[in-house]
Amino acid sequence: MSIFSSKSEKIFIYLFFAIGLFIPLFLEGNTFYINKFSTIIILSIFVMSLDYLVGRTGLITLGHAMFYGLGGYIFTILAPEYEAVNFWVYTFYVMLISGFIALIVGLIVLRTSGIYMIMITLALAQMTFYFFADSVEYGGLDGLFVYIKPETSIFGLSFLDLDNETHFYYLCLLSLFNCFVFFKVIMNSSFGRVIDALKENPDRAIALGYNIFHFRLIAYVLSSSLAAYAGYLFALQFGFVNPSMMSWDISATALVMALLGGLGSVFGAIIGSFMYEGLHYYIEHLTEYWMFFMGVLIIALVLTLKHGIAGFLNALGGKRS
Amino acid sequence: MDTSLFLVQLLNGVQYGLLLFLIASGLTLVFGVMGILNLAHGSMYMIGAYLAYYFTTLTDSFLLAFLISGTMALVIGIIIERFLIIHLYKRDHLDQVLLTVGLIFIFNATQSFVWGNDPLGVEVPELLSGSIKLTDIVEYPVYRLFISLLCLLVAATMYFTINKTRLGMMIRAGESDRAMVENLGVDISKLFTIVFAIGVFLASLAGIVSAPIVSLVPGMGEHVLISCFVVVVIGGLGSIKGAFVAALIVGIVDTYASVLVPQASSMSIYLLMALILLAKPQGLFKN
Repeated sequence: MSIFSSKSEKIFIYLFFAIGLFIPLFLEGNTFYINKFSTIIILSIFVMSLDYLVGRTGLITLGHAMFYGLGGYIFTILAPEYEAVNFWVYTFYVMLISGFIALIVGLIVLRTSGIYMIMITLALAQMTFYFFADSVEYGGLDGLFVYIKPETSIFGLSFLDLDNETHFYYLCLLSLFNCFVFFKVIMNSSFGRVIDALKENPDRAIALGYNIFHFRLIAYVLSSSLAAYAGYLFALQFGFVNPSMMSWDISATALVMALLGGLGSVFGAIIGSFMYEGLHYYIEHLTEYWMFFMGVLIIALVLTLKHGIAGFLNALGGKRS
Repeated sequence: MDTSLFLVQLLNGVQYGLLLFLIASGLTLVFGVMGILNLAHGSMYMIGAYLAYYFTTLTDSFLLAFLISGTMALVIGIIIERFLIIHLYKRDHLDQVLLTVGLIFIFNATQSFVWGNDPLGVEVPELLSGSIKLTDIVEYPVYRLFISLLCLLVAATMYFTINKTRLGMMIRAGESDRAMVENLGVDISKLFTIVFAIGVFLASLAGIVSAPIVSLVPGMGEHVLISCFVVVVIGGLGSIKGAFVAALIVGIVDTYASVLVPQASSMSIYLLMALILLAKPQGLFKN
């Protein structure tokens, strides 16, 4: 069984990762662009986690950036300030703790759905934002700095040096690939099918004996801890975390990116992130008031494109069921 | 805290709560009747405040600025409903979120383009600039009392309109059964335009009247929007009565928290919301 849902998706994924592997060679050590690509790949991971949650469960959250920010903060707070910790160990910590927080938050927000859930997720994310913005201990609005980047050895062997831009780029690309495969495997598993059924027809799923709440909670926790992982990578790339990572417009923009790519398609998250960031980068160079044009673009998008670019590609390549 | 300070804080809390009600009532009215969650509602508050600033400096009269800005808000509301919101009635929540986020982007860019990013202020109109002596040493600004009275007046007008007039009857009918209202020959699209314009007007009105007591900064709309969400969630989405009660609770809790526990003040209302949701997921007054 193939993990791809259409031929176009398969072609896109092969092409994307094949080109991705060689990008640093083309750029010949132009660290500005390598960093730019790493940033967008990190964003793609975040958008992908949101894309799965919103697109597959049908639950809309406007507070996903809360976990993105928490991922960065958990690492920065836990890791000793002047000591290189192990990257993999802290990956585990970050995902575990953020997963636990997502479990608690999920217990509150998943009691609701629809419009209520949109408002509550937004309000809780904003509460976390203020918690960090007001806290003297965690640096207030300036946030915290990462002074020493983690080392990446496994059983004494180290392949990656996170201070090297190209190495970090490959780490991001690998993470994105793993993330993609992870969500695809989930979508094709029996768990993923129940999640789809809950969205398609919740009443029938309940009648069949599935506990809606448990399944949604699991999806919420998985998605949130991957969002936190993306935030952890962000903190490593830029060497700092601050509350603006969890501000509402990050959540909203990520939703726009997911929609641009095609909600629930998972691979669309990559297209959406690259397109949005590409446009953003381009317009930002033309005018200081780029937000105006992004606003117009978003509205035009909502009014015209229903299934995103992934939907268009899937239709083009013939959808396999 | 002695009694007089306690009293002043209570007045501040009530005033803030009433102002929140003004904004939240528009949000909840639009949702209740039209099923639309307008995230750009906070932007209308911001635009109201900036328009008040612009016309006050232009005409030197706060009253004139008040009238012009209010009218402009109504027009903006009608335009947005006619050209954009109208496409959303058959769409899902996500499209509402995205389209109104797009509007926020546009309004924020416009604000920053026209007025820049430096904080601005509006002077309190001369007629209302005095203070009232509460006790021998404690005074309270007249303008804040004016805001509270104005908000109460709006609340009373809304109560009267919704319960006693023909428009109110259609609004109530639209809330409970949209299809039936249409079948009975009410022009629902006109009703929607009116309701949306009123919603925008209420948010802008709050922005206009609070212009003299807050500093006008970019992002002021989003801050208010999120406080409004807390109000609406606590009160029960779509319920104006709920919004009134919840706004007062939120206003008072927020004001006292910033005096009594300054470290956790910005979190207090969210904690309140989380607690109420655990007990009543649909809010205090389920519609």
